[in-house]
Amino acid sequence: MMVRETPILETEKTRFLSNLLLPFRGRILASIGLAWLVLMAFFAIFAPWITPYDPLAIEPVARLTEPGATHFFGTDHFGRDTFSRCIYGARMALLIGLGTVFVSLTVGGFIGMVSAYFTRIGSVLMRVVDVLMAFPALLLALVLMTLFERSVINTIIVIGIVYTTTTARILYGMVLKLKNEVFVDAAICSGVGHTSILLRHILPNLISPLLVQASFIFAFAQLQAAALDFLGLGLPPEIPSWGNMLSESRIYVTRASWLLIYPGLLIILSVFSMNLVGDAARDSLDPRFKDDIAGV
Amino acid sequence: MNFHTSWKSTLIASATALCLSTSVFAETLRYATVGEPPSLDQQVITSDLATTIAHHMFEGLYTFDASNSPVGLLASGERVEDGGKTIVISLREGVKFHNGEDMTSKDVLASLKRWGEFGSRGSLIFSNVESVDATGEYEITIKMKEPFGPWKNLMAFINGGPAIYPASVLEDATKEPLSPDKYIGTGPYKFSEWKPNRHVELKRFDDYKSADGAADGYAGKREATIDTLRFIPVPDVGTRVSGLKAGDYDYAESIPGDLFDDLDADANVTTILNGGPIFWLVFMNSKEGPLKENFALRRAMQAAINKTPALQVAIGPDKLWRANGSFLPEGNVWHTKSGTDNFSKGDAAGAKKLAEEAGYKGDPIKVMVSTNYAFHYDTAVVYTKQLAKAGFNIDLQVYDWATLIKKRAQPDQWDLFFTHHGFVPDPILISVMNDNYPGWWATPEKAALKAKFTASSDPKERKAIWNDIQALIYDQVPTMKTGDVYTYNIASPKLKGLSSSTLIWPHFWNVSK
Amino acid sequence: MLAFTIKRILATVPTLIAASMLIFLFIHLIPGDPAAILLGDTATPEEIAVLTKQMGLDQPVYVQYLKWLTNLLQGDLGTSIFFQVPVLSVIADGAETSGFLALMTMIWIIVLGIPIGAIAATKHGTWIDQITSGAAMFAASVPTFWLGLYLILIFAVGLGWLPSSGYPSIFEEGGLANLRYLLLPSLTLAAPNAALIIRLVRASMLDVQREDYVRTARSKGLHPVRVAYKHVFRNALIAVAAAFGFTFAALVSEAVVTETVFSLPGIGRTVVQSILRRDYPVIQGVILVIVVLYMVVNLLVDLAYSWLDPRVSLK
Repeated sequence: MMVRETPILETEKTRFLSNLLLPFRGRILASIGLAWLVLMAFFAIFAPWITPYDPLAIEPVARLTEPGATHFFGTDHFGRDTFSRCIYGARMALLIGLGTVFVSLTVGGFIGMVSAYFTRIGSVLMRVVDVLMAFPALLLALVLMTLFERSVINTIIVIGIVYTTTTARILYGMVLKLKNEVFVDAAICSGVGHTSILLRHILPNLISPLLVQASFIFAFAQLQAAALDFLGLGLPPEIPSWGNMLSESRIYVTRASWLLIYPGLLIILSVFSMNLVGDAARDSLDPRFKDDIAGV
Repeated sequence: MNFHTSWKSTLIASATALCLSTSVFAETLRYATVGEPPSLDQQVITSDLATTIAHHMFEGLYTFDASNSPVGLLASGERVEDGGKTIVISLREGVKFHNGEDMTSKDVLASLKRWGEFGSRGSLIFSNVESVDATGEYEITIKMKEPFGPWKNLMAFINGGPAIYPASVLEDATKEPLSPDKYIGTGPYKFSEWKPNRHVELKRFDDYKSADGAADGYAGKREATIDTLRFIPVPDVGTRVSGLKAGDYDYAESIPGDLFDDLDADANVTTILNGGPIFWLVFMNSKEGPLKENFALRRAMQAAINKTPALQVAIGPDKLWRANGSFLPEGNVWHTKSGTDNFSKGDAAGAKKLAEEAGYKGDPIKVMVSTNYAFHYDTAVVYTKQLAKAGFNIDLQVYDWATLIKKRAQPDQWDLFFTHHGFVPDPILISVMNDNYPGWWATPEKAALKAKFTASSDPKERKAIWNDIQALIYDQVPTMKTGDVYTYNIASPKLKGLSSSTLIWPHFWNVSK
Repeated sequence: MLAFTIKRILATVPTLIAASMLIFLFIHLIPGDPAAILLGDTATPEEIAVLTKQMGLDQPVYVQYLKWLTNLLQGDLGTSIFFQVPVLSVIADGAETSGFLALMTMIWIIVLGIPIGAIAATKHGTWIDQITSGAAMFAASVPTFWLGLYLILIFAVGLGWLPSSGYPSIFEEGGLANLRYLLLPSLTLAAPNAALIIRLVRASMLDVQREDYVRTARSKGLHPVRVAYKHVFRNALIAVAAAFGFTFAALVSEAVVTETVFSLPGIGRTVVQSILRRDYPVIQGVILVIVVLYMVVNLLVDLAYSWLDPRVSLK
């Protein structure tokens, strides 16, 4: 007997794209947030063509120049152009955000789904997740970053680990709920393999909640990376990221306030936008999963 | 019920504390430090922060006056006999330790012996000492194998130096720093408490017996006017500045150069320049790697660098730095221009040619730097750019300070590393003179000059030898000096009696609030 | 209830042991040598080796772990390499600051979070709701250290209303008035977390409002505000209790940064400084204590949950 794919799946597939934009209908703030994120992505991708200066070029005579016509956002103590560095910072923000989302969703998603589906392995795996969750995120990141060298990839992995555990927990809960649904039972009865059930029947139902979770991870990762940079244990200092810019310039808070205002506002705007987008998307989620997604 | 009573008693206790505090509060000096000192044991610890606190408690036989000459502190005089091989030091009488004991030659003997064996800078002198004896209750005799010129400077330098402790606390003392319950000295302040992460507190020592004479540098009269000195760790520099401005601290150390002009103009803040400049050093690996024994290649790197932009970027105001190639600053007796033609050429093309002649094929050169000191990192960024322009393939590795210290002890891990050096009164104390300091500069030319340098006690002759050593440093390039940096501290204008500049470490005897 | 509690406590034991091994391994893998840091820049490798041996740090990691574990079971967390005092006293000293900081943060969160969340829920869908929810989310988007820096600049340096940094113990001169040192730090710490509580309170109140018993109360002619506060408040508390469970770890993380910015002598800054100094016993001790606290808090949250909400049965 052929098992028909469930109606849930069909609607998910056909309305996927329109679903993506649906949450923003009638929500002005969330739409502005989305627009800002698109703009940020544009800046990040086309940074070399937009920036008026090389973000790493040192110009000691022009150090600590106030914002003006030659340097829109002023210069730092090396005489580097803050505007150009901010634009390149968007690139780093995007990279860290997407990287963290990728690591935590793939690894955490895998652990969560497998644990919920195969309960015997699951009880062991979730124990490990429990142990890791008992470490406060930043302390874990601090110890790991001291252990490894400061680099982009290590920063992504370290922040990724933190959200891997959260994601695993959330997915574990959601898959447990789905496992008891009729369509899964039907699939099992018809002799479909485990992998196939997980990938073709359960996973598609989780895509929307995962996307919402991803938006919150993206936002948190920005703050976490900035905190690590601030403590001097994040990205290598030569990389122009907003967190590094703040960390390097915090002594100039009164002397050259532009060095803290612009990167600070950029972090806030990006995190705020991502939170708005995530919040809007969560509201349009399947009510079964709404409470599972952590976030602001 | 229980909750209520305890709540009440806390209230009462705090109310009483509030009443009592009015008299105490006015006479506590709150000093914002960059961090926590590793220990206050002056004999084995060379941290400047430790000395800033500890030199209020511990005293040595000698100290420095305002012109950086060694003068007696616990010593009342000395005789040098036997062509400089025998030194007989007489001690001041009636000096009391904080535990009430009298200071006698047995304490001095025990202190010198522990310092000689385990002290940070003790071996410099004691490798040349034949015997130390107490030859009277207030007399110590040191016998040298060879005459040793810089002995008095070394004895006067309290940082990692021979602080005098009572013999009773030194019984099983080794390399491990003394624990705080053994912090007993003869200074105008005594140890009160060390609350980790909170503060180190010193209290006035009422039985202090001061040296005679007018106050002159660290020498002469010392009078403790303020009751309590409290050294509070405030690692964030922005917080140190805003805390002083907001009145939460009376004194704050190590303030960034770029804030100098604003703070100097601020009527609520007094700025105090440090008289002895610190200098930044880049060490080269003499033991392993492409720079080993390739002095031509080192000279090529030296030629590529212009030091001025590094100082501009890292410090700012011109007033606070000098692009000075001499290892000791202008105005100091050891100042010399010998060798400094090569100090700061910044000649990329010339350097490239020199490097080719030295056989450089573009192999990566591993440079280690720490971000725990912003100026190390700032300098490294500028140097890296300049070296890259001259064709050097620089691999900049950024670590935290603890990791860097560990890695630099392994010769296969690095080619260059960045550090800095405090002002020292005698060139023998500069780290590059130590053959075991990472970099491990120990060429036969150095050994010959160093032997001559320590054996001589004639100031003129020693100066001439030092000129040769500095020339050798610019020729073999075991290290590169960036320039002199005059750091500064800030204080509340309420403090009276602060000298307009400090020698090396600020002191708060003869200061009132 | 008792059986449940005991079972829960026993279940944490293996997690704790695994966590302790993990802590120990991680920390001893970090490159760096406490002896070298202690002796300073001019120390030679020979001198460092002598001190390393004296401190017992030249032994294999597993030997050091077993030694640490044995002492731990006797309630001894070891001695700080850097301060040469028992780790327990270093932690106890930091605990006063961190404890009060946490308490005051909680107070801010409750005082700000619950009423604002409740107002947003009662004005559901209006512009008041939109603005409060938006503002809360904005507050959660500000990096902690950035907020702290500007609060110091405005309230301590500019207006001079509050101290900028540090925290003298309440047992010292000044007494309870010293708590004013923690006003700005606790506000900094509360800002991002209050937002979460606002959202949870709002959501749970909206859920409850739709439930039958509230509708009944309303239909009986009770004033809507009274209904909202009487019936709904209890449920809001449940949300808050649950939220504390999972904000605890976030709070500790943000406390690390806040304590650094405000130079507070708390546990968070102690960890950061100890990592820089490679003071292994202190790092291990503090992290272990935080992990234990995390578990205790989550246990208490579970218990409080069942106490506040009789519908939740203990399994």
